[in-house]
Amino acid sequence: MLKLGKIIMHIAILYGIFLIGNWIQVTFHLIIPGSVIGMILLFILLYTKSIKVSWIEDGTRLFVSHLTLFFIPATVGIVNYLQLFSGKGILLIIIVLISTALVMGISGVVSQWFVRKKELHHE
Amino acid sequence: MNNIIIGLLAIIGTLIVYLFMWKLHRRVLLPVTLPIFLGSIVIVLVLLLFHIDYDTYMIGGEWINQLLGPAVVALAYPLYQQRDLLKRLFVPILMGTIVGAVVGIMSGVLLAKWLGVEEFIIYSLVSKSVTTPVSIVIADSLGGAMPLAAVFVMIAGMGGVLIAPFIFKAFKIDHVIGRGVGIGSASHAIGTARAMEDGPLGGSASTVAMVLSAIIVSIIAPILAVWML
Repeated sequence: MLKLGKIIMHIAILYGIFLIGNWIQVTFHLIIPGSVIGMILLFILLYTKSIKVSWIEDGTRLFVSHLTLFFIPATVGIVNYLQLFSGKGILLIIIVLISTALVMGISGVVSQWFVRKKELHHE
Repeated sequence: MNNIIIGLLAIIGTLIVYLFMWKLHRRVLLPVTLPIFLGSIVIVLVLLLFHIDYDTYMIGGEWINQLLGPAVVALAYPLYQQRDLLKRLFVPILMGTIVGAVVGIMSGVLLAKWLGVEEFIIYSLVSKSVTTPVSIVIADSLGGAMPLAAVFVMIAGMGGVLIAPFIFKAFKIDHVIGRGVGIGSASHAIGTARAMEDGPLGGSASTVAMVLSAIIVSIIAPILAVWML
């Protein structure tokens, strides 16, 4: 029971940081989503040791390991778009796959090039 | 009163389906047994079979959706855990991720435009390489459809894991960091889970790339996509 209370508390902190992120986005008219601002904010808070990892750890770990549960309702909305994926809609899947292949290949090549340069430099 | 019962049923039903699929996935560790994939299919089938509107399901689903924002905030934690790697390999990972983000957005928009895809669909696939909760917010802000964005993210994740061995070979990516950044930039959490099976270092690189990619794409997608369309 104590553990459950702790987890709810941790998730409440995450929610609070999300709301602060939203507030920052609206106040400063930023394009970056409030949730992403909240994530950067939490990272800075942890990194600068402004808050202790133990204040959010258990809840966050549980949250992250079951992240996809929260994606289900949004994904189920596809029920209203099913006709898109019949016939010509298969093209959409092919577009996504080609683009995904390009991202994977090119980002991998670029970072590999920089890592090798760095490794050479250190030897 | 009625709405509360419908809402509770939707939430409990979603939880049961998710937990069942989660247990199944632990036994059969394959991309096609992912709870988000099979779980969504089961719920879609239930809605179709019993003629339940999506709006009715969302009376409860909306409550689960409320947690998407904090879910993104929670991603700071895995990034924090990888802070040493982030510091040590900041430039290689950041460079790969930025180039990947630009390539992903531009290739998606160009291919779709060339094939005459409707505009709201293009806006839904712009952010397909980043994790679902960030991707659907980007799609929504551009004028895309959130469920479409969620499905494109899933295709990029599962498809990416399937094609990864061929891509690494074709692009001659044999360094563990290059592979991690490639799969994390293109296939977010689904790719990262796959990378972790191969080893902790690649998994860590993939985690960092996935989180950085979410930040970068959310900044540049609105600018690039609007400029290109």
